[in-house]
Formats: sequence, C-alpha cells, structure tokens
Amino acid sequence: MKKMKWITIVAVLAMVVSVFSGCSSKDKEDSGAADEAKDWTGTITVWDGPRWPDDKDNKYHWLEAKKAEFEKAHPGVKIEIVQVPWAEMADKLNIAIAGKKWPDIAPVDISGGAVSINQIKQGVIEPLDEFLTEEEKADFYENALEAYSYDGKIYGIPNSITVHAMLLNLDLFNERGVEPPKDGKWTYDEFVEKMKQLTFDRDGDGKIDVYGFSTYILNGYYEAWPFLYMDGGRPLSEDMTQYTFDDPKVVSALQKLADLKFVHKVAPPEMGGADVGGTWKAWGASDQRTVAVEPWATWAIAAAQGEKYKTNFMVAEYPTGDSGEPVTIGGVGGWVMFHQEDEGKKAMVAEFIKYISSTEEQVTMAKNYGTFPARKSASDQNPFADNEQMARAMQLTEHAVMLPRHPAWKKIDEQIQSQLQLVLNGEKTPEQALKDARGPVEEILGE
Amino acid sequence: MKLKAKSSFNSLVRSIWHNRASYLFLMPKLSVFILFIAIPVVWSFFIAFQQYGVFGSEWVGLDNFKKVFRSDAFYTALWNTFKYTLVTVPAHVVIALILATMINPLGKFGQSFFRAAFYLPTVTSMVIIAMVWRWMYNYRYGLFNYILGWFGFEPVDWLGQSDTALWAIIIMSIVIPPGVGVILYLAAMSNIPDTLYEAAKIDGAGPFQRWWRITLPMLKPTTLYLVMLSTIGSFQVFTQIIMMTKGGPGNATETLVHIIYKTAFRDYEFGVAAAQAMVLFVIILIFSVIQYRVLRTDD
Repeated sequence: MKKMKWITIVAVLAMVVSVFSGCSSKDKEDSGAADEAKDWTGTITVWDGPRWPDDKDNKYHWLEAKKAEFEKAHPGVKIEIVQVPWAEMADKLNIAIAGKKWPDIAPVDISGGAVSINQIKQGVIEPLDEFLTEEEKADFYENALEAYSYDGKIYGIPNSITVHAMLLNLDLFNERGVEPPKDGKWTYDEFVEKMKQLTFDRDGDGKIDVYGFSTYILNGYYEAWPFLYMDGGRPLSEDMTQYTFDDPKVVSALQKLADLKFVHKVAPPEMGGADVGGTWKAWGASDQRTVAVEPWATWAIAAAQGEKYKTNFMVAEYPTGDSGEPVTIGGVGGWVMFHQEDEGKKAMVAEFIKYISSTEEQVTMAKNYGTFPARKSASDQNPFADNEQMARAMQLTEHAVMLPRHPAWKKIDEQIQSQLQLVLNGEKTPEQALKDARGPVEEILGE
Repeated sequence: MKLKAKSSFNSLVRSIWHNRASYLFLMPKLSVFILFIAIPVVWSFFIAFQQYGVFGSEWVGLDNFKKVFRSDAFYTALWNTFKYTLVTVPAHVVIALILATMINPLGKFGQSFFRAAFYLPTVTSMVIIAMVWRWMYNYRYGLFNYILGWFGFEPVDWLGQSDTALWAIIIMSIVIPPGVGVILYLAAMSNIPDTLYEAAKIDGAGPFQRWWRITLPMLKPTTLYLVMLSTIGSFQVFTQIIMMTKGGPGNATETLVHIIYKTAFRDYEFGVAAAQAMVLFVIILIFSVIQYRVLRTDD
C-alpha cells in the first residue's frame, strides 16, 4: 500500500513537471524567435544569382548592401554571399544537397525546379511558420504563400511573383502597319491574322526574313504552355493522380500552336526547338529582330527595357482559345532555409530572410528586377506607376495558373516536353504525342 | 596453408619496406586515386542496392536494377550510346592511324607541328567545342546550312530532328582530330625497327605492302589500347549531349551517362543512378574483354 502511494506521488510529480516544462517551452516559443537569435554569432551562407547591375556592372550589389546593413545591426554575425549563375543554381544545389553541404539560404522555389517536395519530406528544408506572425502571413498574396506551403507548413518566404506574357515588337508592327491588340487582348483567330501580316520577306529575295511568332520547348521552361491551356485543358487531374494532357481540349490547343508553324507558316522552322538563347535573340537582339512576337517570363520585360536589348515593345496577353479566358503560367520566387542543427542560428537565418523579403525590399526588387511583389503592402505602394508594361504584365497575374506541385514533376515535365518537341518538329501529331506521354507519366504517377 | 599465407604476407610487407622510397613517391597520386576514384566506385556499388536518402538510406536489394531494366528511356539511351560508339570508335582509330601514317615520314619540325596541331582539340574544353558546333548547326545562321545554300539545298534542322540530331553529334565527334591516338601511333611507329622495312624493300615490297604487312601488325598493341580507350570514352559521352541537345528532340540523343546524371542530380534517385552506372560498367567491361581477346597479340 505504501509502495502504491509512492508510485502515485512520483507519477503526479512527473505529470506536474512535464506540464510545466511543456508550458515553459510554449512560452519560449511564444516569446519569439528573436530571443534565440539574440545570442547567436557565426556565419550564414547565402546563395544568390545575378540581379540588376549597378554603375560598376555588379549584379550582386543589392544583396551585398543588405549584408552590410544586417552585419552592422547584428555584431558577430557574418553573411557570406556565394554568387551562383541562375542557370547553374538548380544543378549546384542538387549536388550540394546530395553531399549535405547546402547553404543556409537559397533563392529557390519548392516546385521541383531546384528543391522538391521529396526534399521537404526528408527534412532538407526548414519550415518557417514559427518565424511568421499571423499578421505577416496575411500580408502575402494567398497564391504566393500557397506556392511555398506543403502539408500545412510554410517552407519559404515568397519575395516575388512572375508570369509569362507575350512581348510585341512595336517597331515591326509599325513597319507592317499592323495594329497591336487593343488592351493587349486577342483571340486565337485575331492573333493568327496579325501574325500573318507580320510574316514577310524584307529583302525581296523570295525567302521569309521576319516571322510573326516564335517560341521554344525545353524541360523546365513554360513559355509555350499557356497555348496548351487555352482551350481549358491541364496536365494532371486536381488531385494529381491522373494524366489529363491527352484530353481533346489539350490536343486542340497543341494543334493550334503547331498550326502556327505548319499551316499558317507564321513561325520560323526552328520554332519548338530547345534553343532558348537563339529564340530570345531573334526577338530581342538589335542585330536580329526577326520575330515580332514571343512569349517570355517577366524578366524579359526588364531586359527589353535595359540598355543591351532596348526594344520598343508592349506586353499582351496570350490569345484566348475555346475557353474564352486568357491564361498564363505563373511562378513564385522566394527564399528557403536549409536544414539547421542550431536553434539560435535557425532563428538568425530566419531573421535575415525576413529582412531581405520586407515590403521595402520587394518594392525595390519590383522596380529594378522586373518581378511582382508577393506582399500586398508592397503592391499597395504601386511600384509600377511609371512602368506601363510592367503594370500591364502585373494584371496578368489574375489569370496565372501555377504548375502542378507533384514531387516528381520534373520527370513528368520531361516526358511531356519531349513529346511537345516532336510535335513542333513535325514528327508526331498532337494527338499521338500527348497519347504517347500517357504511359511514362502514369508510370511516374504510380510510383 | 595458414603458414604459407602468413609467409607470403610477411614477404609482401618486407618488399614494401624494402621499396619504401618508391611507395612514398607513389603515395600522393595513390591517395588521390583511392580518395576520389576507388572509394566512390566501391561506395556507388553499395548505393546501387539502397534507396539513398539525404538523412539515411534503406536497403532495397535488386529493386533499383529492376527499375533500370523496366525503363524504356534506359533502352533508348543504351541503343543511342551503342550507335554512337559503333561509329565513333572505328572512325577515331582509323583517322588517327591515317594521320599518324601521313605525319610519320615528315621531318622533325613537320612532325612536331602536326603533333601539336592535332593534339590542340584534346586540350580544348569540350564545352567550348560543343558551343561552336551548336552555332555551326544553327538552322538560320549556321555555317552548314549556309554552305548547303550555296548548292541550292534547303536548310536542315540538324539538332531539331530525330533522324539528324544524333548523327550531327556523331559527325562532330568524328571531325575533332583524335590527338591522343595520333601521338600514340606516332610513338609506336618510331619504335618499329628500320631493319624490317629494309628487309621488306630488298624482298621487293612496295610502300603499301610495307605499311600493310609491317606497320599495321606492329601497331596492333597500340590499336588494342586505343580501341579500348576510345570505347570507354564513347560509352561515357555526355558533354556534347548536355550542351547541344539535352537528350532531345524527344529521346533522340539520350545517352547512358546523361540519363545517369539526370537520375542522380535531377531526380535524386542515387540508388537507381548507381544501378545504371553499374550496368554501364558491366557493358564496358564486356566490350573491353571482347576487344582484348580479338585484338591481343600472343607475344
């Protein structure tokens, strides 16, 4: 009996201790991450790609300035910036992750381009919920925060939204006396008519020198994809368990894209190849300008407004198809934090991410780098008041559709894109190509 | 038996101790080899049987190999790699032999000049070469279509069509002079005793007969080495693919190493990638053994 009494006392004591210790840890959480960050000193490694240049053509000056400010405000904390070209970002991160030598922060999304849901599941990416107040979360556009969310947690802080838009070379429109689409809106038929007028033999040698339209097809790039969505089709079912890209809506949309090259002959023979640089130069390089209209992501707007590729252009929507609704593919950029062992460092890293994702920084980014803010408070400051083309492109975000966030999207994307290449080089019909993608994609979905 | 093993181990240790200076000289290179080649190769063998994760791996037996052999893309890549190897290896060896035969009779200056000239592409980055060739294959502005235009031919989408893309890459690989082959053949030719040629001359053999009956047979060990080296290199073709076509259009230029790279560093399936690498290793091994048996000299 005495023994039972002692056991009861010990059990009650243990319960009380555990309840109180639970409370204290909750209290600690509530007191904010800032407390944990306060005492931490050390080095935070940040990878970033080149952004807009300063007078000395330094494309990392913005982050370098933020580093200096942050280091001054946090003695003992050193920010190490690693410059990584955007084209190498995914590959380098992949290798770094494989070797467990990741940076603390990198400017990537979690859609699978560089970091995927699989890595989130493995704990490579840290959730950031504890560092964001409800008020801060509410300041982000829902779709932006959604793009960094998985399984109810937030795995990155969005800093920008991008969309794809049609860029029209107005000099070529003027040269041919073609009226640009009113308010940047056009149906597919109107689009084809205008492209026909913009396709011509400039030097009179009997060969076409200037084409109305061009684009390219390459894994991980989606400039051409809004065309495939124009009749209402999508690659996967909503629950991402079924392949739906061989639906008649997609077949007809892909046929419309292929017809531009093979039926209407308003696109050059190389349209649909994998040459990204060549496609851009055909539209943007001053010594070429042999294509009047090309779809690009919003970085191209800033590029076409810059010195190197200065072009007289306007932004337009993708043409509408059977769905009657304009559609574009959107993307969300931001910063993710990689796995941390030290709670103090984790809090400090989060503080730096928040510092470079503030409203003020998103406005700076929007004005200089050609992205749209992911924060409502940044948009409220109207960063594109004096930039009509960016303002027009920003309106397209309303029609932006995000890509499916399937863990194996990169593999699915490869299967689809390789079939699209075969349609646009004339080797397969749209129906056959999209049907041929079904088997491999279903196999991937089944994994 | 135990005693015998112990004694041979002791003699090995004694031999190492006796030649310790030589082993010390070998040590830096050997350490790098062990650290960066031997250990990763052995490690990849074990990974091939695991589902590799960043924070831990799971033993999955032969599942990764089953996945490899169930993949259509792997067979396409295998077939493309075979085609590439079957054309480029004989072409490299024959071109190296012809070039070396033409350079060998030249004087010292001529030999040095052509040796350096033909070796230059070997020390040039394949990335740069591939970029230049990509421009030459460009549909609208490329050199090849420009030349075709002179003769009234329609331009060809060299890298954009399934039936021309792989051949475009094969042609590029063949046209780059096989510098290593030329150097090795020249070295081997200089070791053939003049007395053999003099005796053949006395017997009335012409230049072609001397080349066919003396030079060629005497070069057999070098040819074997070059064929093996070239086969291994061809099976590992990668830079041209990633720089010029990324495996497309469709899977027309997909090759084994490109697919291994994608499986590992794009899909993070290190176990499957290691299994693919093991399959490639076995294929190369089989080819090397066959080549060795066919081309080896008995003496």
